[in-house]
Amino acid sequence: MTSKERVAAALDHKQPDLVPVDFGSTAVTGIHVSCVAALRDYFGLEKRPVKVHEPYQMLGWMDEDLKRALGLDVDGVFPPRTMFGFPTIDWKPWRTPQGLEVLVPGNFNTRVDAKGDTLIYPEGDLSARPAGRMPKDGFFFDTIIRQEPIDEDKLDPEDNLEEFGLISDADLAHFKMAVESLAGSGRAVMATFGGTAFGDIALVPGPFLKSPRGIRDVAEWYMSTASRRDFVHRIFERQCEIGLANLARIHAAVGNAVDAVFLCGTDFGTQMSAFCSVATFRDLYFPYYRRINQWIHRNTAWKCFKHSCGSVERFIPSFIEAGFDILNPVQCSAAGMAAEHLKTAYGDRLAFWGGGVDTQKALPFGTPAEVRAQVLDRLSIFARGGGFIFNSIHNIQAGTPAGNMVAMFDAVREFNGVATHA
Amino acid sequence: MPELWKLHDAILNGDAKTAVAVTTEALAENVSPLELVQKYMVPAMDLVGQRFECEEYFVPELLLAARAMKGSLALIRPLLVASGAEPVGRVAIGTVKGDLHDIGKNLVSAMLEGGGFDVIDLGADVAPEKFVNAVKERGAKIVALSALLTVTMGSMKTTIQALKDAGVREEVKVMVGGAPVTEQFAQEIGADGYSENASSAVALARRLAAS
Repeated sequence: MTSKERVAAALDHKQPDLVPVDFGSTAVTGIHVSCVAALRDYFGLEKRPVKVHEPYQMLGWMDEDLKRALGLDVDGVFPPRTMFGFPTIDWKPWRTPQGLEVLVPGNFNTRVDAKGDTLIYPEGDLSARPAGRMPKDGFFFDTIIRQEPIDEDKLDPEDNLEEFGLISDADLAHFKMAVESLAGSGRAVMATFGGTAFGDIALVPGPFLKSPRGIRDVAEWYMSTASRRDFVHRIFERQCEIGLANLARIHAAVGNAVDAVFLCGTDFGTQMSAFCSVATFRDLYFPYYRRINQWIHRNTAWKCFKHSCGSVERFIPSFIEAGFDILNPVQCSAAGMAAEHLKTAYGDRLAFWGGGVDTQKALPFGTPAEVRAQVLDRLSIFARGGGFIFNSIHNIQAGTPAGNMVAMFDAVREFNGVATHA
Repeated sequence: MPELWKLHDAILNGDAKTAVAVTTEALAENVSPLELVQKYMVPAMDLVGQRFECEEYFVPELLLAARAMKGSLALIRPLLVASGAEPVGRVAIGTVKGDLHDIGKNLVSAMLEGGGFDVIDLGADVAPEKFVNAVKERGAKIVALSALLTVTMGSMKTTIQALKDAGVREEVKVMVGGAPVTEQFAQEIGADGYSENASSAVALARRLAAS
């Protein structure tokens, strides 16, 4: 099987020849730039600075040589602009707080404040208020909340819709070219088109906007889902209409060369519980997810990918009913998310893209032997009958030892019956 | 005379406007600030905590209740201080060095305030020496540390070490929490307690304050 066929089989719940592997095809299945650099060193690949293609989480770009060395099966298509609103072009050198030389987009413009924190600016505009902050000696950015005072009588859903416009011809051309450029790779294509994440708390603060309006404070947004639900519905309703119109145009441009679409990263789970009840989910989110997924299933061959961290077992039946085909990151360490239970209860209807190893404990802090044991255990559960794309539980974090990452990849190869790197 | 049960219900329902209005009216009519706290606000926040524990309430409802409680408390606190009323305990709270994620910390802070604690909120990305100063100079008896990231969990250990180096570790209890933090990790770094959510953090702080 080619990688593309392997992923397609897995997503169709058929047993592929090998368990397919993804690292780097989305902003939630990636690897911190320092770890990408460490992997390149480990495999003796050409020494060159790694590109930070996603500056918010400082994710490193997986070049073709590293993809081959790791045996990856999925390519990613990304939006033309980053979380901070500037395009991933005109690469320039930058040094991380830890002293690693990397490449960043040309408009990755920063200043260091009196405290030693690194501030980053929306669209690279140094005259705007900074949109992100990396603590001194930190590894990635967090959004800076820029919330204007809220006048309850003047709240307008349009203010929270600034980022959800109809797609431009230039952006459409970007997606078309990006998808076409991957035609010869033999890998599956995962695309992030944007615009269909309803209330994703990473996006609500609008780090890509120079002057975000509306409700942009994280806590205020969470409260609004309970206290201003009609207002949030009006935002989602309009966002959904725009999203559907854009998907139609995008599909017309890229066709079915795309295998799966990362639609929404809104987190519904916490480590031990949930951010809302199932009843709230079904009232506030479900109708929009269903409309998006129904359109995709009726009009394309794409699979629908939902990311939600945490304890989300209670939502899974609704995810499936809403039309999602794939769940990520499958946080098995959260309450009620044991691998065997998820696979047995939902594995025939939902593909798991993640869950391969815990990035909170085993991968960063365990021994290589512990990593291997956990990876083999997860593979033995999730790989049964297909329905599984191997990936760690969310991005591999900075500070993860190269030896542990290699132990993870080797365990997958061992399970797949392929020669290991050791 | 205002109907004081409305203060209880306003906090329970996350209605900040009504909570502030009832508190203002009650104080104008010389209702004891301590009575407002002990009879209406603390029981309301306890009930909020219970509803959170049994998953009737979630983070949005917790945030709304906390905001209503804080609005009311802002009016009451200066009067409590002037009257010399003793809090249940004094807690210095913050997210540890390098960690900017403060929603969980803010919830714990609010729940502790609602539970009758005097809370010194040191904010986010707090250097170990600031916790030490809060103990030495402001009399904190409990230090509450929050971390969301695997890369900042180590700062909890560093902060506890700083308390030891400053010779104040025996004067305070240290409680920890945050998504990647576990009971086992808390024990490994020598913390006195771990809480998995904002509601049980209040019960933990009460136990630590009484020990």
